[in-house]
This record gives sequence, structure tokens and C-alpha cells, in this order.
Amino acid sequence: MRRVVAVAGILALAVLLVTFPIWTADWESSRYATTILRDMLVLAILALSLDLLVGVAGMPSLGHAAFFGTGAYAAAIAAQRLGNDDLLVGLGAAIAVAALLAFGIGLFAVRAAGIFFLMLTLAFAQMVFAVAFQAVDLTGGSNGLAGVHRPTLAGLDFNGADALYQLVAVLFLLVLVLSWRIRSSTYGRALAGLRENERRMRALGYDTTRLKLSAFVLAGAIAGVGGALSAYSLRFVSTNDVGVGRSIEAFVSVLIGGTGTLIGPVVGAVVVLYIERVLPSSIPFAETVLGLVFVVFVVAARQGIVGLAVATYARVRR
Amino acid sequence: MIEARDLRREFGGIVALAGVDLRVEQGERRAIIGPNGAGKTTLFNILTGELAPTSGSVRLGGEDVTARRPHELARRGVARMYQRNELFDPLPARENVALALRAATGPYRPFTAPARSVAAVADALLERVGLGGRGDAAARALSHGERRQLELALALARAPRLLLLDEPTAGMSPAETARISGLIDALERTLTIVVVEHDMDVVFRLADRITVLHEGRVIADGTPAEVRADTQVTEVYLGKVVA
Repeated sequence: MRRVVAVAGILALAVLLVTFPIWTADWESSRYATTILRDMLVLAILALSLDLLVGVAGMPSLGHAAFFGTGAYAAAIAAQRLGNDDLLVGLGAAIAVAALLAFGIGLFAVRAAGIFFLMLTLAFAQMVFAVAFQAVDLTGGSNGLAGVHRPTLAGLDFNGADALYQLVAVLFLLVLVLSWRIRSSTYGRALAGLRENERRMRALGYDTTRLKLSAFVLAGAIAGVGGALSAYSLRFVSTNDVGVGRSIEAFVSVLIGGTGTLIGPVVGAVVVLYIERVLPSSIPFAETVLGLVFVVFVVAARQGIVGLAVATYARVRR
Repeated sequence: MIEARDLRREFGGIVALAGVDLRVEQGERRAIIGPNGAGKTTLFNILTGELAPTSGSVRLGGEDVTARRPHELARRGVARMYQRNELFDPLPARENVALALRAATGPYRPFTAPARSVAAVADALLERVGLGGRGDAAARALSHGERRQLELALALARAPRLLLLDEPTAGMSPAETARISGLIDALERTLTIVVVEHDMDVVFRLADRITVLHEGRVIADGTPAEVRADTQVTEVYLGKVVA
């Protein structure tokens, strides 16, 4: 019975999320709120994919935007060059290219661990950034690619702001369900084993190099989905999307929200974008707030918002 | 079962193993003893593939496995109990064992939850090493003796052919030592066991044969009685313990 209530509650939340532009239509700020929420969900997809590495497998990547940005470029270029606005083509291109890049980078990066893995992913992402900056014919260089076509799918047109928001919301929910399934699966448990003790995993017969590479590719592919949605949302892709700033934004979202908690990265993405996009209109020096919040969490609450909430709830119940 | 020939391993200028030969038959229980720095753990690291020898070869059941990677050796039936526990600390004891059991079927099942039956097998194994009823406790919440028992359970989970035990009783109280050596003594006789151990009571209780390492070389190899009678062994090792 409690399970039924929980499932019904989650379904209701999901419906509320997807229909947000509809039931807020009367709000004066509905359009603005929808845009902000859309961008929060895109960042949440990126953060969820990153947490698969950071929180589940214990692989702290500081170059995750490389796959997000490549996915964004791939979706934009596919629409532009192929003259095909089909969502499956754009999304397929984003996933394929991001996964391929993650495989290439992963082959080298997963052989390192901890701080060395972090530095390697950062270095590789900077290389990707440099290529994006200089391959002007393909990426538009520092000008970026403007006027990205929004996709269509089987007669559905996602050109309108509300329709595109709903596409983002549905894909976000799919990624969330996927992340949840993966975490509780045999595969997710093996990644957790990797996080806790790689040496023992090897001694038990797990090919840990391959396991880490698979996680890296999977996380890269999901980040690519986020990138494609970013390109469709903003109708614009630039080197910012592959830059270290975007990687840090995702990493901070994961840490503030709570690593390895499934919903934590989503909460983190919401908090980060709220501070970056909403707060500046009401208080001065809002950007500094993000830095302060980050410092507070790193120093005093490493388990993040969701980790903290779970711990508090457990204490209250006892 | 396992045969090492002329194993050498150098770290920089330091010679850890200076040409070690070791041959352990199927079902045999072999103890390796020697003072600290004799090369015992280096030998284990080579036998499990964690370290490549500078030269020499290792054969397992007739197959050349020199410098195979650890997971490849694990899949061929080599299991190890580490000197310092290598556990999944925050995870429950049951999940620790389940991870070991699931290694046999591989991790690439991203959509299926682990089979319930694995938990039952894990509980049975915990029971067998004396951790019955402790399945829900996090590995880090167990006592030192219990953690060693869990470490043994992880080594046994994949029904190995060759079990390498690196100081199974290290840091244990007499009661804990008696318990774990009893557990090891009670293992199937078909299982080949190589044990590195400092506690001579445990060594003489478990071992069919004893190999004595000293400064990276084998200085004696024989039955417990033979080794006990060896004057060189008494000088470099046993003498210190007795004195």
C-alpha cells in the first residue's frame, strides 16, 4: 500500500513537471519560469550522468563538458548539414559522437585513478575545447553555431517554447529512470564495488579497466543527450558548452546536491542555476554566493543537500 | 597445481626475489615462512598477477600464466586473502560476498537487479566462515577478527582451485587465531592452499610442507619435521621466535 502511494506520488510529480507550462499559463512569469526550469533540467541531465562516474563508480571527472559540448555540436551540425530536423537523427548523432569521444578519451583516462584521473579528464577536455575553438569551419569557432533548428519527431514539432520544454522534461525523466535502474542493477553494484575497492574487484575477477571504460562511455553518451537538448533549447552552441566552466558547473551541482544519491545531482543543478540565473536580479554579487555555498558544502557537509536530508531524516526517525 | 620457476623481482636496485622456485601439488597445503622482507608478499603479488616478475615464469595447472592480469588469474581459480583486509568497507557484509559471487556471471547487466538467490548463497557462505547473522552489518562495523573472516569469505566465494592466504591470523587475539585457523583447517582437502604465516603453531597445524624464504631465496623446503630439524632455518628464523 505504501509502495502504491509512493509510486502514485512520483507519477503525479512527473506529470506536474511535464505539464508545467500548462498549469502555470496564468502566471505573469510563466514563460520565464519555464525557460529557467528547462535549463535546470538540461544541467540536471549532465549532472546525473556525471554522478554515475563521481558518485557511483568513484571516478571524479573534471572534463565531463567535453561530451556535453560534443553532443551539442553534433546535434546542431546534424540538423544544419544534413538538413534533417528529425529528433532521432539529432539525438542519435549526439549520443554516437559523445560516446565515441568518451571511448577514445576513456582508453587513456581510466588507467589513472583519483586526482590523476581528474587531471587527465581536465586535460583531454581542454584539448577538445581547443579543437572546437579552432575548427571554425565545423564549429563556428569563437562565434559558435547560431540558429540551431529545433527538432521534429513523427509529426510532433518541438519548435514552440512549451513543446521544447516538454521534450526536455520527458527526456530528463527518462534519464532519471535510467540512472535509477542502473544504480540498483548488477552493473551499478559492480560500479559501487569499483568505488570502494578496485584492488579487491580485480582479485575477484572483474576486469576493472573495462568496467571503468564502460561507465565512462555510458556517462559520456548521456551527457551527449544533455548537450543536444542544450543546443535545441538555446538554438546556439558555443565553445562554452565544451569548456571547463560547464564541467565545473556540473561537478558543483553533483557535490552540492549529494554524490551517489540519485536525486542529489538534480537538486544541485536546480540550486546552481537558481544562484546563477535568478538570484542576480534580486541581490548584488550573486555569483559570489555560489562560491560561498560550494565552500560551505565542501567544508561542512560533504554529503550534500540530499545526503544531509537523508541523514537528518534517519536521525529523527530513530 | 602451481609452479614458479626462477622468479626474480627487483625494485630499483633492491632484489626482493632472487630466483625462487616453488612447486605446489594439487590439494597440498603449503606454508611459506621467513623473516620480514624475505619476499613473501612479493611472491604472492606475482602469483596473483598484481606484479610482473622481472624474470622467471609461473604455471598454473600446466598453463603459462606469467604476468597475466589479476582478474584473469581470478577467473582461472586463484583467490587471495590479503594481509591487510581489502573489503568494501561501507557495504554490508552480505553485499561484500555477493559482489564476489556475481563476479562469475559478469557485471554487464545494467537493467536487471541482482538475483535474490545470490543473497541466500552469500548468507550461507557467511555462516560457513562464522559470520552467520552478520550479513546486514557494514564491513567497517565488524571487529578485526570478523573482518578477517569476511576477507576469507571473499576469497572462498568463487570456489577457487588455489587459495593464497597472506598472514590470515595477523593482529588477532589467541581466540580469534584459533577460530580462523580452525576454519582454514576445515576447508576441503582438494583445495590447494599456500599460506604465509608468522604464527608457528598455525603453520605446523596447517601445513603439509613448508618453504622457508630468506632474502629472496628459498633456503629450505620440506615437511614440517624436516624444516624444524634444519639448522640454517633455526638460525635465520625459528631461532628468533623460540629465543
